[in-house]
Amino acid sequence: MTDDSPPPTSDSSASSAPMPEGSPDQESSPRDMVDRARIDASCRGPVLFFFLTAAAWLLIGSALALLASIKMHSPEFLSDTEWLTFGRVRPAHLNTVIYGWSSLAGMGVLFWLQARLSRAELRFQKLLYAVGILWNLAIAGGTVVLLTGRYLSIEWLEFPVWTAALLGLGFVAVMVTSLDTFRRRTHHHVYVSQWYLFGAVFWFPILYVLAHAMIHLGGATGVAQATANWWFAHNVLGIWFTPIGLAAAYYFIPKVIGRPIHSYYLSLLGFWTLALFYNWAGTHHLIGGPLPVWLTTVGTVASMMMFIPVITVAINHHMTMIGHFQKLKFSPTLRFIVFGAMSYTVVSFQGSLMSLRIVNETSHFTHYTVAHAHLGMYAFFTMVLFGSIYYIAPRLTGREWASARLIKIHFWSVAVGMIMYFTGLSWGGWRQGEQMNHDTMPFLDIVAELMPYFWSRSVAGILMTVGHIAFAILLWKMWRGEGQKRLRARKLEQQQEGPTLLARPEEDS
Amino acid sequence: MTLVYLLIWGTWIAFGISTIWALHWAARHGHLSDPEGAARSIFDDDEPPGQMTDFFPGDGPDGDPSLMEGSHD
Amino acid sequence: MNRSISLLAGVLFTVAASFVGLVLIPDWQFVPLEPVQLDDGTTRPVPPEGSVAEGRLVYNELGCIYCHTQQIRPDNFGTDQQRGWGTRQTEPLDHIYDEPPLLGTMRSGPDLANIGARQPSRSWHHLHMFNPVITSPGSNMPPHRFLYEAIPRGDGERPDEALNFPEEFDDPHHWWVPTDRAEALVDYLLSLDHTYPTGRGQ
Repeated sequence: MTDDSPPPTSDSSASSAPMPEGSPDQESSPRDMVDRARIDASCRGPVLFFFLTAAAWLLIGSALALLASIKMHSPEFLSDTEWLTFGRVRPAHLNTVIYGWSSLAGMGVLFWLQARLSRAELRFQKLLYAVGILWNLAIAGGTVVLLTGRYLSIEWLEFPVWTAALLGLGFVAVMVTSLDTFRRRTHHHVYVSQWYLFGAVFWFPILYVLAHAMIHLGGATGVAQATANWWFAHNVLGIWFTPIGLAAAYYFIPKVIGRPIHSYYLSLLGFWTLALFYNWAGTHHLIGGPLPVWLTTVGTVASMMMFIPVITVAINHHMTMIGHFQKLKFSPTLRFIVFGAMSYTVVSFQGSLMSLRIVNETSHFTHYTVAHAHLGMYAFFTMVLFGSIYYIAPRLTGREWASARLIKIHFWSVAVGMIMYFTGLSWGGWRQGEQMNHDTMPFLDIVAELMPYFWSRSVAGILMTVGHIAFAILLWKMWRGEGQKRLRARKLEQQQEGPTLLARPEEDS
Repeated sequence: MTLVYLLIWGTWIAFGISTIWALHWAARHGHLSDPEGAARSIFDDDEPPGQMTDFFPGDGPDGDPSLMEGSHD
Repeated sequence: MNRSISLLAGVLFTVAASFVGLVLIPDWQFVPLEPVQLDDGTTRPVPPEGSVAEGRLVYNELGCIYCHTQQIRPDNFGTDQQRGWGTRQTEPLDHIYDEPPLLGTMRSGPDLANIGARQPSRSWHHLHMFNPVITSPGSNMPPHRFLYEAIPRGDGERPDEALNFPEEFDDPHHWWVPTDRAEALVDYLLSLDHTYPTGRGQ
């Protein structure tokens, strides 16, 4: 599977004759380019809105994370304010980054990818704005409720019922929009990313509604509620974030480097095995708990089966990249996404192993699990989101990013921060688990031994937050149109009569 | 307990059947017969294989011609 | 359109199957569990009522679950029981009245499944809640002083409920009195006792 077909001539003159800045390129702009610009323009308003508000939640989530992290080693810090106590900021952090940052940004990526791959315009702009506003209000309200303490301690499901209901409504709109775009596709091929996106938009809303019904409407009681809880919490990763992240990686890696994916067959095999097994993996969070052994064994078996989809993805991403690693130097998107794709392999292998009783005996109940969760949600998913946004936003506005330096600051601070976060807490957490399993070691001695690792987490968190601020500034400037006009946008402008697509005022198209 | 196991295996089977069915649909509509075409469907005439599509601002495709088509494999 | 429908149906089945397997079946399996009769005629577990139920809500809203588990693992799995956190593995039966169950997934602090049996002293819990390092030097648990009311020490009498601090932690200007929430929380913690036999070995 090599790229040996002769490249079409339309736009490739750049390699031999660099286009002078500002001068029109007199070749006719190909239809594909106009089509893409039209589709991008249809996404511009809502997708940018999702990205911008997501970035705001990322900053809020980072602040809450730092607060929680500092409290772990300096418990007196802001301890006299009840709504800032650890047990409040911890769930507030989780829910703002999951539903605020990750879901909003993820949906922005999802809309754009679905439109681009279907080669159809995104419709229902007004509905999407409404959904975006609704989501933001729901999350804001829900976060206030979390900080004031009127919540139930059900991890990942702390938001009050009305927040959940509003978010659920939003999911339905996402489902409808995605289906509508796909239905109007003008292209025969269904690309693998679309399979993943379909998985996400249909699985997750159902999961979300069923889990809330079971837990809040009294469907499940006692320990069954705990299984419902972890069935849901694990599937948020498995059938919402993972498919979106993999859809993006499967599109952007080949698209950016200009090389078809290594094995398309493997990618489909990966999708279907993920669909089969991920659903069942959640109960490994309850190993050793007050459940019949068969329940947690089901989770362990499914987790081990996850090796199949993970290996297919690992092979595909790596083999596509091989020979192209020098391109990381030139593309911000590629840097973030390759970092994310590699983390996906690591976090999935690690996760499967952690479901084995022999590993779980030590890793369960420790900060090792926290490190693992951040490897998944941050090093994999958030990095893929960053990369996707670096690709998508300039195509929405027709502008370049305002500063290459800020992008590099962003990348290096979050990459170094994340690696530090992961190594520190994994090491510390594993030791914590081993010491906890030596019953002669007093508990408070274990706490004392953990302190340096808690500090390393706060330092890592500061680094990551610096990166988030750089990212938010860039996105803000992008929205304000402060970057240079993109070459392609200029070309389009030269060739269209009247106002160009990208300069068209922001009305519903 | 027998009923529990029956249900579990029942759902596994139902699930397997639905997956196979969806796969069958994909095959019937030619989504599996042309992996090469599907893999290439993300490229356009003006963004062909061999061409990078993302750069740091200011770098641009004219920054380093070696990154354009034919520079690898 | 036809394709999207079959695609849709395919993905729906995948979730539905795991939902039945991991949520509905366990629920159906656990519902018939009955409390155990002890020799003295009482039954366990006891449904939380009154201040214990209120305390359970306080435990919820302070997010205790993010650092404390309430589950004892089996004898040969970890050292939960050797540490004295419990005498047997906890079971579905222990949680039939738990709404929601507060099993937890993190042990930044010790397990609390049997804290009422392990630490029956009311004043210990109040001091520990007020500022954990009083009873547990080196603890990184956040102090919960906001659960206590500061009453200026004037000429007035010392209130009966005022906390009795060790000398180095004494506040010369205030008496600290537990609020209702603090009392309820301690009631709840003292109620946590899963040492009764369930007739299932272990």
